[in-house]
Order: sequence, then structure tokens, then C-alpha cells
Amino acid sequence: MKQQQEKLGIREYVCIAFLMIGMKGTEDTPSMLFSHVQNAAWMIPLLSGGLFFIPLFLLLKTLSLFEDKNLFEVIQLLLGKYIAFFISFIIFCLNTYAISLDTRTYTNIIRAYYFTTTPILVLYGILMVVCVYAAKKGIQRIGSISYILIFYVALSFFFAFWLSMKDSQFESIFPIWGPGTLELLKAGPLGIGLWGEFFILASLISFMTSFKDFRNGTWIAFGCVVIQLSLATMLFIALFDKGLSVIGYPFHVAIRYISIGEFLPNIETLFFPIWLSAAFIRFAAFLFINALIFGHLFNIKEYQYLIPSLATIYLLIGMIPETPIDVALLKEPLRYVAGPTFAAISIILWLSAWFKGEFKHAKNKKNM
Amino acid sequence: MQKIKKTCNLLLLLSMVFLLSGCWDRAELENKSYVIGLGIDRSKDEGKIKVTMLIANPEVGSVQGGGGSNEKPREIITFDAIDVITAKSTANAVISREISYELLKVIIVSEEFARDKRFLPTLYTSLHDKEIRLDTFLAVCKEKAYEYFQNNRPRLETRPHKYFQYMIEHGIDNGYIADSTLFRFIKTIERGTDLALAMYTTAEREKNPPIKGEDEYIAGQLNAFGELDDTQFIGSAVFRNGVMTQILTGQETRMVNILDDTVDIHDILINMPDPFSERQQQIAARILKTENNTFKMDMKGAKPKITITIPLKFEIMSNPSMVNYVKGGKNRQILKKHIAAHMKTTFESFLKNTQTKLKGSPFPLSRYALKYFATNQEFRDFNWEKSFLEAEITVKPDIEIIDFGKQLMPQKGGSK
Repeated sequence: MKQQQEKLGIREYVCIAFLMIGMKGTEDTPSMLFSHVQNAAWMIPLLSGGLFFIPLFLLLKTLSLFEDKNLFEVIQLLLGKYIAFFISFIIFCLNTYAISLDTRTYTNIIRAYYFTTTPILVLYGILMVVCVYAAKKGIQRIGSISYILIFYVALSFFFAFWLSMKDSQFESIFPIWGPGTLELLKAGPLGIGLWGEFFILASLISFMTSFKDFRNGTWIAFGCVVIQLSLATMLFIALFDKGLSVIGYPFHVAIRYISIGEFLPNIETLFFPIWLSAAFIRFAAFLFINALIFGHLFNIKEYQYLIPSLATIYLLIGMIPETPIDVALLKEPLRYVAGPTFAAISIILWLSAWFKGEFKHAKNKKNM
Repeated sequence: MQKIKKTCNLLLLLSMVFLLSGCWDRAELENKSYVIGLGIDRSKDEGKIKVTMLIANPEVGSVQGGGGSNEKPREIITFDAIDVITAKSTANAVISREISYELLKVIIVSEEFARDKRFLPTLYTSLHDKEIRLDTFLAVCKEKAYEYFQNNRPRLETRPHKYFQYMIEHGIDNGYIADSTLFRFIKTIERGTDLALAMYTTAEREKNPPIKGEDEYIAGQLNAFGELDDTQFIGSAVFRNGVMTQILTGQETRMVNILDDTVDIHDILINMPDPFSERQQQIAARILKTENNTFKMDMKGAKPKITITIPLKFEIMSNPSMVNYVKGGKNRQILKKHIAAHMKTTFESFLKNTQTKLKGSPFPLSRYALKYFATNQEFRDFNWEKSFLEAEITVKPDIEIIDFGKQLMPQKGGSK
């Protein structure tokens, strides 16, 4: 009994994208940005968002030529078998590195604030098992869950931020240019890494109802996430001021600090489950996409069965760094490499399509 | 096939039940001993501190154990330790249950230790404990912290967690003590440009203290007697670069709380001279602060000029000189002007005091200066800590009298 495969609508796609990238505001990203450009950290998402707009625009333009084909098929068509394999492999490696360290970061957060004595391996294992279970259900299911969740996630974030307003001082974001305009521009490439997921999400095109949905969805999610990350960083700066440099995970420190009146202190248990479910979705989608890339690389049709074994590998890689500090240090090169790499690939794709005359080709086709 | 699948799913669900207890972090309420107050003192041994733990008995006052139990509401234990984190296990030599800081309400440091350079590193070490939350309050006590806990015997509110919660909550509402959560304290210390405050308390009443105005006391000076506990919460300790330097009175703390927009105060009752009285009578008023202050600064000149507008609403509660406010519209104007002038002088002389005596602003004034600079480097070059001492500060109280009291028509009537 095989059901007809449902397609991913625009709203599910936007929700997945929002959860995958918007969650960055709740981990160590804000304090990482703060350590680079201090009180001007809130500008980095806006700046790098503006920078990343160009490659993303070119990528969507290129992809629009091959409507039903996903990213990796397009790469293959444009760059030939061997180069395409090489590039796809690089993307897969970067993803592997990213997901391993990210899952480890989340495990660290859970262990640091909520389950302080449970061994890392146990927490990590449970996290991975849940993500594998969700990922194996397929991207359509992940999409529906994220559509259900998004409301609660957004609500809980807003509620947390609203409660923390009382202790915030928005004057802290001044002086407006922070460490100086030059320093800000230097931090641009660092910020591009934040949006790398949009590039990877392009591999979901074949699951979408239409290319138009994909394009519009990407732009909607991109706009939302840029604003959300910038706003979250700004709020954390207003709340913690200079203290943000010594706080690893500002969202969790904030939800442990705030209280609803005098009678409901310690309300982090309200936010934690919602945050956790969002994290599950994020990694489930990530796992699914990685399995998809892997299946494409080595021509494996039934890629769903790869998910558990891939997850195990990620868990093993993620267990390598001994302490949370090592994780932060290992993440640093990724931030410098991933963003520019994805941007470069997008531009290369567009250039090759242009040289090959695919754009003219498409135009002629339209005219006919 | 269908059956196997079902059994597998059921087994999976069953295995999840085991996770619900929280794996290694399973916590038994019965098994825990909750520290409500933590005292830190200087130890005779170099490199050590004297830790005092105030442990609450959860059974007392609860519905289940309230009636029959004869247990004491609290337990106090003092010993020398390297830091408060390892002190948890050392304490188990005496305390039968596992020590936990999860419900910690207040950290009390003796004045002697707060004036020591080792205080700040000790506090930072304590913050590394994952159970200590940033909404814990920091207080400075006049005597040794262990003496404070032992002498503090509340008559009615015997449950220590409730006692400290209410005492501090109402102290902050009244504006008598600084809202010094660890969060605010650490934030100010990290900022480095302003002075940090911590509430001041003592359980030792001074002998024959002088009688002062309603809020001009510091803890220990209020000569209250009767059947009561001697603990007093009023005033605040000022920390400069992480070392305690001065003590502010209740009145000064109130002014700081009015100037600081991030503090939530809402029930300030004060006395001030009655403009219509010849016998130096005082009128009572309630101050409401519903709007934020505005800070205007001029950084261009040799000396920075700072103008602070404080919007305050007044409710006049008493009328000792029996002035008729209803008929005499002029009287209302006189009163308003008088209050404004009174506020202006008190605030300005206090701010002058902060420049000369405290050598820094005890509220986050430097944050309002930030927007006049383009980059962090410029602000650093400006050297706020130094320039603040030379700044010309003007206060503009924006007074609105919203109520002239219950008795509109005075019995005797008329002003003279």
C-alpha cells in the first residue's frame, strides 16, 4: 500500500527554513558575533544578509532554468560529471562538519543548563535517535510538524523576549558603529556563513509543489530570518550589555533569569521543551538533506535507509571534541569557509550557465 | 508482520518511559536539601572563605506537614571552604541530604569581605556553579555573614525562603534597597563605567541611634523596638571596581532607583517641608514614576553637560498646615513649584555627591552617553569615568500633582 507522495507546500517549506536558520539566535551565534564586533553585532545579520542576497539571487536565477531539477542535478548538468561530483562532495563534507558540531553544541547546551550530570554520550544519543526517527519519516512529515510547531516557537520566543524587556536597556547598542566601520565590513564574510543553509535547502526543489513556491518561499524565509536574527542579537545586547562576551548561550541564560511576576520564577521549563522540539526539527531536516546529498553522490535510490548510519557517524564525529570550548574553536573555521564557499559555488553555477548560453536558450524557448 | 511491527512500536514507547525520569539527573525531592541563603565571609586561612548555608525545611508551613511536625524551619551551618561549589559536598558531613543551590534566594557577604579585593574573584567563582541563578540577590551585611544568619530570627515569617522573598521584594518596591540581583550586579561590573550597588542589611541594631527623617537611615540605625526581629534592610553598598567603598542611605538609594529606569519601583512615600507652614511641618506624599527619564548630554565642550528630566507624579497625602487647595488655585501652583524646587535641590546635591564622594554614577548613566559617539574607540578616548566627575549635571523635575488627598475641604479652612 503505497501512498501517493505528497509535495511540500510553500508554508511548510518556509517553516522548515525558518526553524533551521532562526534557531541560530538561540545558541551561541549571538555571543560569537558579539565577540567579533561587540555592540554592533546586531548589524552583522543585516549586512551579511545583504551580501548573501546576490549569490542567492543568482542561484535562484540559475535554478529557474531547470525547473524540476534539484540543486545537485543542476550542478551535474552545468559542470559535468567529475567536477560536479567534486563540488557536491565538498558540500557534503562541509555539511557533515556543520551538523556534527551543531548537534554537539545543542547537546552541550542541554547538559550545561538542564541535565548537568547525565553523560554527554547519552544525551547526544537520545537527541540523534529522535532526529533520525523524524528524518526517516520524510521531509513531508518534517514539514507538517514544523508548520504545527512554528506558532508555538514564535510565540515562546516573543514571550521570552518580551519578559526580558524589563531588564533591557536599548541604549547599549550604541555607539552605532561599534568597533568601527572597517571592522564591521571585515566581519561580513563571517556572517555569510549564517545563511549557508539556504543554499542546501535548494536540494529540496524536487519535493516542492512548484518552482515558484520554492522561490517565493526562499525569499520569505530569508527576509524573516535576517530580521529575526538581527533582532534577537539586538535584544541580547540590550539585555546583557558587555556581559554577552562571557555568556556562552544567551538565550538560555535569559530564560533562566526571567520570571512571570514574583510567583512564577524559574520558568525555563516552559521554553525548554519548545526549544527542544524546534531543535529536533532542525536536525531532522538537516539529516534528511544530508542523506539526500549522499544518495545523490553515490547513486543510492533508497537514501532514507542511510539516515541512521549517517547519524551514527555524525555522533561519532561530534564526540571527538572534548569540551564545549573545543567545539567553539572548531566551529570558527567553518564560519569563515562555509559561507564564501556556498556563495562562490552559486556564482560559478550562474557564470557557467551564462557562458553556456542557457539563459538565451530559455528565453528562446519562452518566445516559442 | 503487522503484529511484529506493533510489538516493536510498543517496546519503543515503553523504553521511552525510562527516559522520563531524567537519566542521571533524576532528582528526589525527599533527598535534597535546599540552600536559601548563602553567606560568604573572610576566613582566617589565606585563600579560603567561610561559607554559611541557610537551609530551609520544606516541611514547615506546608499543608501536609504543618500540623504535627515539630521540626525547626531552618538549619544553619558555617565552615571554611575553598569555594562554594565544593562546599556542597563538605556540608554533607553534617547535613543528611544532598545540598542544592537551585532555590538559592540571596547571597550575603559581610561588609568586611566586600571591602576586600578577593571578593569579586570569589563571587565569579561561585557563579560557575550551574545551579546558581542570576536572579539570586546579592546583599552586604554589616556584621559577619554567619552572625547575620544566626541573629536573623523572623517572628512571623519563619520560613526563610518566604522571609527573604517578601523582605527584598517590598524593599525594592519602596525603593529603600538596591535591586541587586546577581544579573544586574555582574552586568554593571562587566560594563566597568558605573558603580555597582548591593542592598545593605544587618541583624544588629545600633545602640541609641540618632532619629532621622523617614528614609535617611542605613540598616541598623532605625530604632525600632518591641517584639520583633532586629534584621533591617535599608540602604545600599556601593562597589567601585568590584570593591565596596561607601554606603548609601535609604534616601540616596531611593534617588538612585528613581534615576535608574531599569528598576521597577512603585510605592515611594516621602515627607517634605510644607511650603505653607511656619513651624517646619512636613507633608506626606506618594511618588509615582510611570514614565522613563530623559537624558540629554552635551559632550562637545570642555566639561560635559548633562540634563536629566525626571517625570514624577505626586499624590499629596497630608495637609498639616490646613491649606485650602480647592479654592486657592494659587496654592496648588505654589505647592507644585515648591515640590519641583525641593526635588531639584535634593537630586542635584545627591548627584554632586556622587561626583565628589562616590566618584562614579551609581546608575547606568554611561549608557545614555553612548549614542553621542560613533565608535567604541571614541568613547574610550572620551574616558567616561573621568569626565563624569567634571560634568555639570542639571536636574529638571517634571512634576505633576495628581491628587491632593482625601480631605478636600479642611475643617479650619483658608490659608494665612
